[in-house]
Amino acid sequence: MLRLRFGLAALLGVAVLAGSARADLTSSLKKQSVNLQSASALAFGPESILFIGDSAAATIYAVATGDQATGDKKAAMNVEGIDKLVADMLGATPKDIAISAMKVNPATGNVYLAVRRAKGPGAAIFRVDRTGKVTELALKDIPAASVQLPNASEKQRAQSITCMAFSKDRLFVAGLSNEEFASTLRSLPFPFQQADKGSGIEIYHGSHGRFETASPIRTFTLFDVSGQASLLAAYTCTPLVRIPVESLKPGEKVKGATVAELGNGNTPLDMVVYQKDGKTYILMANTKRGVMKIQTEGIEGTEPITKRVSDKAGLKYETVTDLKNVEKLDRLNDTMAVVLMSGENGSQMLKSVALP
Amino acid sequence: MFPVFLKPAGGARAFRWALFLFAVLPALAAADTPALRWQPATKSQPCRVELNGLDSVLLAQLRDQPPKDWSNLLAVFVGDSRTPILGNYTVGKASLLFEPRFPFNPGLKYRALFTPASGPKVELEFTIPQPTVTAATVVEQVYPSADKLPENLLKFYLHFSASMSWGQAYSRVHLLDADGKEVERPFLELEQELWDPSGRRLTLFIHPGRIKRGLKPREELGPVLQEGKSYTLVVDSTWPDTDGNPLQKRFTKEFKVEVPDETQPDPKKWALRAPAAGERKPLTVRFPKPLDHALLQRMLWIVDKSEKRLDGQVRIGEQEKSWSFTPAQEWKPGEYRLVVDTALEDFAGNSVARPFEVDEFHAVQKEVKAKTMELPFSVR
Repeated sequence: MLRLRFGLAALLGVAVLAGSARADLTSSLKKQSVNLQSASALAFGPESILFIGDSAAATIYAVATGDQATGDKKAAMNVEGIDKLVADMLGATPKDIAISAMKVNPATGNVYLAVRRAKGPGAAIFRVDRTGKVTELALKDIPAASVQLPNASEKQRAQSITCMAFSKDRLFVAGLSNEEFASTLRSLPFPFQQADKGSGIEIYHGSHGRFETASPIRTFTLFDVSGQASLLAAYTCTPLVRIPVESLKPGEKVKGATVAELGNGNTPLDMVVYQKDGKTYILMANTKRGVMKIQTEGIEGTEPITKRVSDKAGLKYETVTDLKNVEKLDRLNDTMAVVLMSGENGSQMLKSVALP
Repeated sequence: MFPVFLKPAGGARAFRWALFLFAVLPALAAADTPALRWQPATKSQPCRVELNGLDSVLLAQLRDQPPKDWSNLLAVFVGDSRTPILGNYTVGKASLLFEPRFPFNPGLKYRALFTPASGPKVELEFTIPQPTVTAATVVEQVYPSADKLPENLLKFYLHFSASMSWGQAYSRVHLLDADGKEVERPFLELEQELWDPSGRRLTLFIHPGRIKRGLKPREELGPVLQEGKSYTLVVDSTWPDTDGNPLQKRFTKEFKVEVPDETQPDPKKWALRAPAAGERKPLTVRFPKPLDHALLQRMLWIVDKSEKRLDGQVRIGEQEKSWSFTPAQEWKPGEYRLVVDTALEDFAGNSVARPFEVDEFHAVQKEVKAKTMELPFSVR
């Protein structure tokens, strides 16, 4: 009994501590209206805080969604004609809008969509709960904070935000400049600090151990390799590269190890990491090859690809033939992913699929 | 004329509403007939929907206790959709106003519906007229402007005379070979599309996986551009600008492809022509090879002896082979420096700091660690 009481007290103590940590994060956000010019990337942090990457404004917003779980978190999802639905809500037709990003709030299992207009600036965020109900995340008078990327004031220069992920107390942001061709991965502290806008980290990768390029990252995901937090990045020029997070220090030049080469014509879109039968896999949506399931077995020991490679070099992967026309992908829970895919009639649907 | 009721909101609130409506019924009876109309956009406000003919007491009630879901009372839909359009509701002096989250699309059919708790519904179908098609937007310039380009060319900049719609770039720009056959997926296709903030300049990267040596895309398909061959860059006239108007005409740029350029720009080889003191003539810098048009605008500048950056006008010369700077004030005699950001690139992405790709087996290329380089000059 005594042990149980002690245990409960300890548990309460932990809860109080966790509560105070939350209060710190929440107190950094101030009520304001967020006016999005665009929304090209989303990421969730602790406490359902949503990060929104606005490329057109070269700004990243953090907003408190106050998201609550609705419906059964294990239930399947199927929202047909999601593009028509959000277009209707925005007073437009599906061709006048685009769903530019999709992320699951891991705390609630609700799916968030970033939608932007094709004609002129403007974007909105939508929440799809587990009953399939679609509502707008009102950005008026919402607890929020923002950080503007450096050089946003340059007249013609723009920094396109392609992918974001939160880890511990930092937001990693991959972007692409509309002028210089360089890898610009930023590591931003959160709560945001005006003094630290996240110095760019130069990331290089080799090809066959010979040619080294500072190519931009298209998408990335964070995961543990033998207890070491790693960033697995897919480059615009196709290699898949592993970089230890601890090496990502502002101002440093970091060289990643190429662990797989995806081959011709692929543009990686989204990646998720999951476990199945005691093994870790990466599921990647790709413009040309559909969805790929990549084995990570031995990734820590994977020798960087250093010589001419066959089609399936480095980590082994297979194409998930059931999944076609997948445009966005995220992990819904331990056993399911959610995909945004286009159907035969060209309309888009949001659908849960079992992790393969 | 008929009384206007609101749908019950539920619970105690509904009771209050019912009581209120009962109390104000006589006043409502005096109200005009509710009527819907749409107001065209003006310079200061976008197009909106107006509900008139509501009693002033009811308007005051709506102002003081706004309903949780306005769309139960007044909703606007796209065509036959049953999903209300998002927007803001404002209670005016004599009307209820709906302003959509984003402007209504000209040419699209909309339906506004006022649903009182009792009495007939009021409905209005409307279409914002399409503005007259005026195909006035043109491709003003494409950089690089030269008609001879290296095989490893990294990007094109397309400059338009007005802001363009988003989401169609990769289907409206084509690269044709000498036989008029389209080169397969030559550009890096990014969902975000690389526009400048005004929407008037698009950056198109040639797929880097087909430029960089040793990668599968290049091994399988070969480079996008091949030395000795001719190509045409085509921009479709059907590409709409943000007003929905097509381009005035199709744009083409023909060019011939030369040897790949694997050398870094070397500021030590640039020719500076210093102006004379007491005049506002430009300082001119000539490059042995052309450099990136966009980066030249901001990666070269001039400082005086006290490190103060000079204000003035930058001009990029023909075929991006020169850069000139006309100061805002007359040149004063003294020592100056041209500062070069080492991230400045040539047409193939080779920067002053490092080549596009470093061949680690043949380290003939050099890496410059410094962020800037300086070229001194005197004004006499």
